[in-house]
Amino acid sequence: MMRLNLFLLLLVVVSALYLVNVQYESRQLYAELDRARAQAHKLEVDTERLQLEKRAQATSARIEMLARTRLQMRPVNPAITVYVAHTASASQ
Amino acid sequence: MSRSITYNSSPLLASPTPVWRSKFIVAFMALAFAALIGRAVYIQVIANAFFLMKGEVRFMRTLALPANRGRILDRNGVVLASSIPVPSIWAVPDEVNRNPLMLKKLARLLDMPVAELNKKLENEDKSFVWLKRQVDESVAKQIDALKMKGIHQRKEYKRQYPDGEASAHVVGFTSVEDKGQEGMELAFNKDLGGRDGSRRVIKDRMGQVVEDVGEQIAPIDGQDLQLSIDSKVQFFAFQTIKEAVLQHKAKAGSVVVLDVQTGEVLALANYPSFKPDRRKNLSGEQLRNRALTDSFEPGSTMKPFVIALALNSGRVTPQTPIQTAPGRLTIGSATISDSHAHGVLSVTEVIQKSSNIGTAKIALQMPAREMWEMYSNVGFGQKPQVPFPGAVSGRLRPYKSWRPIEQATMSYGYGVSVSLMQLAHAYTIFGRDGDLVPLSMLKVTQPVQGRPVLQSKSAHDVRRMLHLVTGPGGTAPKAQTMGYSVGGKTGTAHKQEGRGYAGKKYRGVFAGLAPIDAPRIAVAVMIDEPSNGQYYGGDVAAPVFSQTVQQTLRVLGVAPDMSVVPQVVTDAVEESF
Repeated sequence: MMRLNLFLLLLVVVSALYLVNVQYESRQLYAELDRARAQAHKLEVDTERLQLEKRAQATSARIEMLARTRLQMRPVNPAITVYVAHTASASQ
Repeated sequence: MSRSITYNSSPLLASPTPVWRSKFIVAFMALAFAALIGRAVYIQVIANAFFLMKGEVRFMRTLALPANRGRILDRNGVVLASSIPVPSIWAVPDEVNRNPLMLKKLARLLDMPVAELNKKLENEDKSFVWLKRQVDESVAKQIDALKMKGIHQRKEYKRQYPDGEASAHVVGFTSVEDKGQEGMELAFNKDLGGRDGSRRVIKDRMGQVVEDVGEQIAPIDGQDLQLSIDSKVQFFAFQTIKEAVLQHKAKAGSVVVLDVQTGEVLALANYPSFKPDRRKNLSGEQLRNRALTDSFEPGSTMKPFVIALALNSGRVTPQTPIQTAPGRLTIGSATISDSHAHGVLSVTEVIQKSSNIGTAKIALQMPAREMWEMYSNVGFGQKPQVPFPGAVSGRLRPYKSWRPIEQATMSYGYGVSVSLMQLAHAYTIFGRDGDLVPLSMLKVTQPVQGRPVLQSKSAHDVRRMLHLVTGPGGTAPKAQTMGYSVGGKTGTAHKQEGRGYAGKKYRGVFAGLAPIDAPRIAVAVMIDEPSNGQYYGGDVAAPVFSQTVQQTLRVLGVAPDMSVVPQVVTDAVEESF
């Protein structure tokens, strides 16, 4: 009887220690998951920011300015445009 | 010493104390222990809430999950406004190290004098002080590198407007708290702003989240808003009006471009404008969205509506002759005049040459009620149906109070006032088959239903007349544009000042349609107080119309309807105003 009790006590202690360990590990993993989520969010925000920056670099005002000053371009007008008709056969 | 001490019978040992005292002590101590146990049970089992709570605040945290404000897009999905998180710098004044060298460095990074920084840090009782909100990412990194105690950062959403001043008046702007303050940002603040969420977590001593507690409320992001604006058209319109205002040394100018087929606003630009993300030292002049918030006397641009009404009711035909000689007409005690005396003009020529007398004579054939109905049917005197903060309704007095002279002047645009948006909207009836479609600031995806105002024949006739205005012998040959046929009406109005008219202050207006046979767009242009010599609508506003039409139709992919040969600009006839 006494021996069985000791054995059970041992089991309880081991199980308790294991529980502590599992809890610890689960928290570690959760922290990692949370970091990964934060990273994902940060990347999303970065995407948004970069897209906005791209857009800011490509505004009509900037394109017009660069086209005029750096590339010496001029606005198109119908006199220097060739219009082609869009037909079903043309797109084939 | 005769007395001896016997130790085994010490009087000290022969205790005289009664037995109950020792029992009392034992009982007292037992009771004290019982009280402690009772207290422990009370704290641990019965009333543990308070201490549980105290424990929790040491490791549980509620994290706010901020919702993203929706973006504002143009009709093609180009971003006009978007929020991104940027760092803001704050401090706990109590903890800040007052090393003068460090403070100097910090002040330089924050771009403020040291004295100002010190003033912000002065109040030591506070545990939170904003030093500077919404700084650049690079600046924030440098501040971080200083590793100053008590200086912290927090991410805040900042609104970015890539198109800057070109679309500032339409899009509007938000406050530092990301709430709409002007324009579409304000009008659709509710839809754009989302709802913040939150989550409760357990944090370990390193500040890492190790567990979620309870339910988390997910943030609801704001909805994106797609406007009817085309950012390219908007840019060209802004550019053109800006150049015109500067060239004519005008006070201000506005231009509105509408899609005739859907009633969508393709562009709405004003100059002077402002940069929505740099709003220091803004004046009301810059902030005003003149095309919607300013009403003015439209002058001759009103004439086509009177003529349309006369045609529609069968009182005249385009060929009906009207005697306008000798260039002045007395109604009651007042006399109206044309700037050039013409002889007998056909109704078409009345519009083409912009004769006040011709228009007034036609107007006086009609009852005031009909004219009033015509004006109010096309939207004058009524608030435009656009969700814009501060849009004005203009002034259209009830017809019962019109005297004949007033009816005459109203026929050529004095005594009534409209906003430029109303004028452009009203002109769409000539571009369509006489019906009026509702205005829209948002992209229209479903077919729109118009409200009939004119018969399609009358609308068509007026359109022909408007085309002649821009031809040889009209008042606005400068409205012509390469490749596309156009039509429109000039207006030059004396500005009202106080109760009378200012002698030398004018407003040049032009409203028109293009291409004239199957109109796609209606454009209205207004130049306020041009003071560089020219002030006729045909000289200052028509060129803006011409360029705007040219660029807009190209962007919309409309093929030219006229053979392209360099066109000779014919000499203008001075219009009446």
